Amino acid sequence: MNSVSELDRHLVEFAGLLRQVGIRISASEILDAAQGLALVGMEDRNRVEAVLAATLVKEPNQIPWFEEAFRAYFAPPEQKKAWQEEAEKKAAQWREDIGQTHEELRFQGRELALGEEERAVYARLPEEEKERLKSFLAKSSEGMKSGIPVDHAFQPILERTVRGSLEYWRHRLGEDFPLLPPGEANGVLSEVEEAIRRKELAYLSQDLKNIDPEDWPRVVDLIRRLTERLAGQISRRYQADRRRGGIDMRRTLRANMRYGGVLLARRYRSRHTGRPKFVLLCDLSGSMVKYTEFVLQFIYGLSTVVSGIETFAFGERLARLTDEVRTGKSFQKMVREALPAAGENWGGGTNLAVALEELVRTQAQVLTRRTVFIILSDSQTLEGERAAQYLAGIRRRVREILWLNTLPERRWPEIKTIEQFRRHCRMYECYTLGHLTGILSERLG
Amino acid sequence: MAERMTLEEFEQGLTEAGYITEPEDRIAVTAFLAVQLGKPLLVTGPPGVGKTEIAKVLSQVFKAHLVRLQCYEGLDETRALYEWNYQRQLLKIQLQRESLQEEDLFSESYLLPRPLLQALVSEEPTVLLIDEIDKTDAEFEAFLFELLGEFQVTIPEMGTVQAKKHPLVVLTSNGERELSDGLKRRCVFLHVESPSVNKEVRILRTKVPELPERLALQVARAIHVLRESVALHKIPSIAETLDWARALLLMGREDLDAAWVDATLTLLLKSEEDVQAFYREMGAEKLLWEARSAGPEKKVEQHRQARALTDEAGQAAAGRT
Repeated sequence: MNSVSELDRHLVEFAGLLRQVGIRISASEILDAAQGLALVGMEDRNRVEAVLAATLVKEPNQIPWFEEAFRAYFAPPEQKKAWQEEAEKKAAQWREDIGQTHEELRFQGRELALGEEERAVYARLPEEEKERLKSFLAKSSEGMKSGIPVDHAFQPILERTVRGSLEYWRHRLGEDFPLLPPGEANGVLSEVEEAIRRKELAYLSQDLKNIDPEDWPRVVDLIRRLTERLAGQISRRYQADRRRGGIDMRRTLRANMRYGGVLLARRYRSRHTGRPKFVLLCDLSGSMVKYTEFVLQFIYGLSTVVSGIETFAFGERLARLTDEVRTGKSFQKMVREALPAAGENWGGGTNLAVALEELVRTQAQVLTRRTVFIILSDSQTLEGERAAQYLAGIRRRVREILWLNTLPERRWPEIKTIEQFRRHCRMYECYTLGHLTGILSERLG
Repeated sequence: MAERMTLEEFEQGLTEAGYITEPEDRIAVTAFLAVQLGKPLLVTGPPGVGKTEIAKVLSQVFKAHLVRLQCYEGLDETRALYEWNYQRQLLKIQLQRESLQEEDLFSESYLLPRPLLQALVSEEPTVLLIDEIDKTDAEFEAFLFELLGEFQVTIPEMGTVQAKKHPLVVLTSNGERELSDGLKRRCVFLHVESPSVNKEVRILRTKVPELPERLALQVARAIHVLRESVALHKIPSIAETLDWARALLLMGREDLDAAWVDATLTLLLKSEEDVQAFYREMGAEKLLWEARSAGPEKKVEQHRQARALTDEAGQAAAGRT
């Protein structure tokens, strides 16, 4: 009886670990696993792994996660103990670092109201920067305004200044993702996550602009595979749309004239759905160039399943890139040539309103009911309000507008114009390949 | 279907039926589980790795009748489950206009059973192969739930039809579309990848026994490099490996050389695009060199990881759809 409950406990714990790494498992699947183990026995490690894989895993992409979880969970106890100690050490270090920020980031003895993420950025700062911030806080605490010492009413202003500085450092340190605490200090889970990172399965969730130039060829290869797969999905769905519709009475009557009007043979209507046309409008501001390069590769990989792709770039003005992309020019060369057309200050500020106005005025023929209009931009533009008006006009002419926003969604509330743009388009956060694949699969399927 | 069979006996049965497995591919254990738990077996993997063959071999092992439903876009229950024999019903109406009762028209004699119903009502042990389920649409998949979960179907005019003998169900998918959670939950899952070099040598030796061992090894290694290191739209399947080996044998080859690779390449690569990719990225000389050396291992590993990433993206996409 004890051995049975021990097995059950391990199974439930292992299923819990798999759930933590993102594999959905129901109770009935755990039951299947238990029955399977009873059938096959526990003596052979390979067989046990095969039984658990057959019953708990349901998709090929889960297999690497399952294998790492199996290796880590069924590792020797001393190894698990070492991972546990390591995880606890990291968690303790995190707590200590955050605790220290509570001591150091104070104004006139009172703690600053900062979030844990901001504190984590502070904890990662170089020592001299920390010192600079601390000394700024100390001086501000003793500061004077119009000959009168500042009091606690000054704290919110100071907090805004510190937040701004930490935000700058977050970018500088390349920490665009939320800095999260190491959690429950689960050694086995940490080991699984670490192993997956080692296998470099993280490209899909990595910000495109942070991908190391050395890794570009591999990412380009990955993009090729992703688009092949997506093209397969899209093409299949368009074909599926041609399944039969209702009875076509006219063709049915004609087909049955040979039977003297008795309706023996039936004829059905068929449905056809046109393939979409893409019009791509890419932001060429300095921070966006890398995203644009990857997204162009991705979208052009789909050219077999869309009936045409028109590509435009904008800085201060609009530049048409369709022919350049078709002739297979390198992205760098293309951008260099588009530079004079897109505006003198290319790589600096952008003006979406001017680009949209020019698009409507000179390229109206590309905006039809079959057009999926895709904008790739971080939505930081001059004349945002005017751009939103043009966007509303375009919305009435096209099938839909997708806005791929490279700014993380949690930061959208900081940009006022985003709310205006969102009224006229579907806006998605899109700074990783995972985002891009998901969006296109959802919108085109 | 095989109440008293042990795993070892099952593995023996697979070998006798000419199906080669290895512990690493988990095929034997997983298929055994599906049989013993009485659950459908969902087999995924790229085309040409032997998914459909699993169903055929199971029917041999259990001496069962194989019923195959080939899925395609637009497949619906009238072609998969049953259809009323409309013409015959019409004829009956014409003949017995006066005395006819409605229930006379909805009896078994007016029913045209399609593969799913055939498998359910069969008195004999049956293996039901639902091939390329990913080619159907989501509605059809949902329609299968009742069959896969309860081994029964409901015909509105007649009521519920229970399986006379539970068929062993094998579903295959090439992963063109994500399957629903409901379907996956009802199945035992098996993912089959292209075989390892060792396994492919064993397959070659079993299916083409007259092939010299040395040539079998060269062929298997070359195919392995081709699959993993060239960006092909369609990787060579096991069947194509066998065709290639047979062709080389017919030509009296004992060794693989570049000229013969060039001459017979179209047996492996079936599109001009893939042939061009092969010559652009590799060529026959390099293929043979890489097949002989341990050099490609790293590259092979990189490509395997890239494939895993592709699947990961599929999941991300599925999560959103």
